[in-house]
Amino acid sequence: MTPVLEFENISRSYKIGVPVLDGVTFSMDEGEVVGLVGRNGAGKTTLLRIAMGMLVPHRGLLRVFGMSPIESPVEVKKRIGYVAEDQVLPPGSSIADLIGFHEYLFPQWDRGLERGLLDRFGLSRKVRIKGLSKGQARQVALLLAICHRPELLILDEPAGGLDPAARREFLEASIQLLNREGSAIIFSSHHMHDIERIGARIVLLDQGRVRLDMGLDRMREDVCVAMIPQAALRDVAALEQMPGCLGVREVYGDWHAVFDGDPEAVAAQLRGIGEVRCVRAPLEELFVELVGK
Amino acid sequence: MQILVNPADELPIYRQIMRQIQEAIAGGRLKPGQKLASHRDLAEQAVIAPLTVKKAYDELEALGFIETQRGLGTFVCAKPPRVNLNDQRAQVRDAARRLLAQAYLGGLGFEAVVKILKEADRELTSGRQKEAS
Repeated sequence: MTPVLEFENISRSYKIGVPVLDGVTFSMDEGEVVGLVGRNGAGKTTLLRIAMGMLVPHRGLLRVFGMSPIESPVEVKKRIGYVAEDQVLPPGSSIADLIGFHEYLFPQWDRGLERGLLDRFGLSRKVRIKGLSKGQARQVALLLAICHRPELLILDEPAGGLDPAARREFLEASIQLLNREGSAIIFSSHHMHDIERIGARIVLLDQGRVRLDMGLDRMREDVCVAMIPQAALRDVAALEQMPGCLGVREVYGDWHAVFDGDPEAVAAQLRGIGEVRCVRAPLEELFVELVGK
Repeated sequence: MQILVNPADELPIYRQIMRQIQEAIAGGRLKPGQKLASHRDLAEQAVIAPLTVKKAYDELEALGFIETQRGLGTFVCAKPPRVNLNDQRAQVRDAARRLLAQAYLGGLGFEAVVKILKEADRELTSGRQKEAS
């Protein structure tokens, strides 16, 4: 089976010698849901724009449905839906105008899905974009991105700036799409709870590289944070080199080390050091432990 | 039946679903032979990925709590399994320790905890008692 999306050793800089992406490699299968996480500036938006063929990588190989989005832009874009982080829809257009335009671009446009989403979001086709709230404008952007029933949906921080209820409605629509079409979704977000709800796999970007690529359930069950008093262990390098250690940071006189292993096993591994506490942690905590200062 | 998930919970979401369904079966709110929501419907209702629900159902099926009948849906098994008593006892003892520690820290005495346990038992089994009467 051809992967839906393949990044192979992708690098890209905006300034010479300052890579934003530095050798990113991973791929996604049909129907897979990937949550792309990382700090601001980690390269998430750049990577998603490369996947869309909006930016050319300086190094590496990109395949979408087995094709290059640069060489076969139409073939590829027909099968993708995309909502950008700062998507600006033309303020003077009505929702009906935008739908008409997309319907013209995408012959496979699904009117039933369109009507269902308009109803669900409580939007009228006559309203102009400038008359919409921020959340409603995002809902229109999502509607435009999914009514041609894409096989791959790329969402770049889709819920940025939305209130919790609007975010939930956005997630509901995405889940409906998953249910109906089995589309693959890659979405970047800083809302870890949203990612836990619909993501199945986490790709963590850190300084332009893939720091972690792991199933969400495994991450919740088989990754833990070990808290070790610095008095018990002076040499942080020894800790970093231990098998399974994914990263260490200092927190008020303790080392916090993220380990690939369940808490009991890791506690046993570290027993020699002294008083060590190992706990499982939700995604948000793991995120902070892995990429926080 | 309503499933509520909490992404901040210690358990991954598929385990939260498993636990809530197991509790509903144990408490009699889900009865042998009763039909469960399809994994697609439950995914939409709880706003979680359909694959997550499928994973929870698959694990519950492997454990013998529910069974899928092709084309008909997923049902609670006629005889849900007895859990391994030793395992179960150790887990309950752990949970009891945590419960008591929390209660004592909060200034509640042992008798107050017993009272709370009785209330919880009534809530959990109310569906079953209604059935019996």
